[in-house]
Amino acid sequence: MEQPILPPESLTNEAIAARLTTTADKKQREGLIKKRNLVYLELNGCSGNIISLLNGQNPTFEYTLHSLVNLRYSNSLMASEGEQATEKLIDVLDEDFILAVEGAVALKDEGLYNVIGSWNDQPLTGLQAAQMLGERASHILAVGACATHGGVSAAKPNPSESVSLQDVLPDRNMIKLPGCPVHPDWFLGTLAHLLLYGEPETDNLGRPLMFYSTLIHDRCPRRPFFDRGIFAEKLGDKTCLFKLGCRGPVTRTDCPTRQWNGSVNWPIGDDTPCIGCSQFGFPDAMAPFISFDTTRVVKDE
Amino acid sequence: MSKRIVINPLTRISGFLEIEVTVDQHVVTEARTTGNLFRGFEQMLVGRSPFDAVYFTQRICGICSAAHSMASSLALEDALKVEPLEQGRYLRDIIHCCEFLQNHIRHFYQYTAPDFVFIEQNALFQTDHNDFRLPKAINDRISKHYFDSLPISRSAHQMLAILGGKAPHNHGVFIGGITTQATSEKIVQLDSLLQTITAFIDEKMIPDVYDIAKYYPDYYGVGGGYGNLLTYGSFNDYKELGTLYVDPLVSTLEMTEPEPFDESNISEKIDYSWFTREENEYQPDETVPEPDRRKQKGYSWVKAPRYNGRPMEVGPLARLILSGAYEHGISAMDRTIARALEAKKIAQIMKTLLREVLPGVDLQKKYDLPESAEGRGLVDTTRGGLGHWLKIKDQKLSFYQIITPSTWDFSPRDDQGFRGVAEQALIGTPIEDPNNPAEIGRILRSFDPCMSCATHVFSKGKQVKTIKVF
Repeated sequence: MEQPILPPESLTNEAIAARLTTTADKKQREGLIKKRNLVYLELNGCSGNIISLLNGQNPTFEYTLHSLVNLRYSNSLMASEGEQATEKLIDVLDEDFILAVEGAVALKDEGLYNVIGSWNDQPLTGLQAAQMLGERASHILAVGACATHGGVSAAKPNPSESVSLQDVLPDRNMIKLPGCPVHPDWFLGTLAHLLLYGEPETDNLGRPLMFYSTLIHDRCPRRPFFDRGIFAEKLGDKTCLFKLGCRGPVTRTDCPTRQWNGSVNWPIGDDTPCIGCSQFGFPDAMAPFISFDTTRVVKDE
Repeated sequence: MSKRIVINPLTRISGFLEIEVTVDQHVVTEARTTGNLFRGFEQMLVGRSPFDAVYFTQRICGICSAAHSMASSLALEDALKVEPLEQGRYLRDIIHCCEFLQNHIRHFYQYTAPDFVFIEQNALFQTDHNDFRLPKAINDRISKHYFDSLPISRSAHQMLAILGGKAPHNHGVFIGGITTQATSEKIVQLDSLLQTITAFIDEKMIPDVYDIAKYYPDYYGVGGGYGNLLTYGSFNDYKELGTLYVDPLVSTLEMTEPEPFDESNISEKIDYSWFTREENEYQPDETVPEPDRRKQKGYSWVKAPRYNGRPMEVGPLARLILSGAYEHGISAMDRTIARALEAKKIAQIMKTLLREVLPGVDLQKKYDLPESAEGRGLVDTTRGGLGHWLKIKDQKLSFYQIITPSTWDFSPRDDQGFRGVAEQALIGTPIEDPNNPAEIGRILRSFDPCMSCATHVFSKGKQVKTIKVF
């Protein structure tokens, strides 16, 4: 590191993330950091995280591909197909690589509910791929709700018997990036940190503090309404959405300041409650997402 | 001598698809598509709050999540007897337009182009075949557009977020239209972004697709399939604007002209799907079967929807032909061209809708849940007709059925011997090099398979009374 980053420079999460990626770019150009291999595995999920990554802005996905990593495998993007694609996954096993996984691991019927390819004419299940690559990877990123804690793929009654990546790799340390989907900055910023300084500081659940340390509620622009007890009664109202079931008071992300899709908006900005998509236990622990009167008398289930 | 070719995974699609073909004398004689992912959304939805269906079902698919918010909102409006204001419809349909644009641009440049264009020296773009025919100047131009398209598709999602909060998995589409109100600022923000996207489609995407077609004319001769087309209607039936794109129509080779679509002709079959139930055929609003990965005859997680017993093709080409806007033919290349032409069409529709939007209209109210109700939402989305059928009991979801566009296009065969649409489209295809068959992937990708969507489906196998939805 040339210059330590100290005040009076801006210490917002956004500014730190921006500095990280600019520094990464500079160091990469100067040959100070080497591009590393990245394997991006999609398992039992909606492939929405890779779509979110394509939405990344500064750093963009193009930049990531050209300046940060050699993307060696991605079901959504690679030109190869069939066993020739799987071969690229096998080849990387003997090299140094960072593993990013989105989607949960389906356990039912030995993993046959999620077959991601074939190898030597045999189906390669998500379970096999996660274990095979997870054991060899130098760093692991669990990307999105399904990979970090099962997410929607493991929602009750969990028909595919899906579990988190950590559940099938209990001894491996991994960085967890919950979110449905992950914010592109959370992923790309973490990746940049890994390449520059190693693994970022995380909380007891494995989430990088630079993105997941503060409650939405603590930085919510509608907090003054909460403090004065002025609550929305329906979607579309401009006041505090707490009584419609807003999960901002329990969800730790920087959505209020970072916002989404080039910082144009975010769920609360859209006059809807946060549904806690970045909380462990989402969706079941965060349901119901929308209640028109949370002060009602709750009937027995 | 016949040779068996298996492609698994078929990459550059959403989700997991396996394809097995038999090639005899360099011609495909048999084909089987296998959906390789099962999640079970329909079972997960039972017991949840009906309002949660809108955000929950979006998680079926990362590339077309807004589609599921559309169908679930329509189904809930049907069940709750809510009629949205036209302003609500306009705004919701604008969000849907944004998804079409995002999807079509990404599908063409990120998923389709690498089949025909050598992108660059990068581990990600290493190819398996050498059938790259474009002159260097054109190849380099489209290869550059692969990257130039990324800020454009990104800004399509940005437009979606302006009205929808975030993308993918938006918060905006809901009962009544959208959750928030339009403002003058948002309208010009959208119009400005749309202008850049429209210019990209006109100046780059459409010329690029026709250049590819020029150098790969043989793809006009393959991938045709049955020629049965279906749409549930798209941007249609506005009170004042009428139909901006296409009404609900079907056509088969036996018909002289397209006929109105009739929902009661839809059934789903599971003879060759990994599901069991006493009867192998049922209506969408009946209950559906249990997953059974060990079923002997089964070979896919995708079920087989049929219209009057026929497999039907859905998607941009079907819509363009049924609306009378495209007459060239039905083939792999026509399908790819249709997607680019449709992107232009959708941009025009969005412009029209934007002109109608009034700022500051509150579209939301406090909704009450009935003790019991049924509803269905059918809408054409990026890949074709999407249907959600739901039932409410004790103010909770008691039933949820989803038939996605890729279920129509990537179904397995049925008891009448009909193959799925994509399977049929492969039959008769000449394969130049059976060891590196470029043709199969190109034909399948022309359908824009979304196997995350096609293979989510499942609900508890308890027989309930059939309920007429009209």
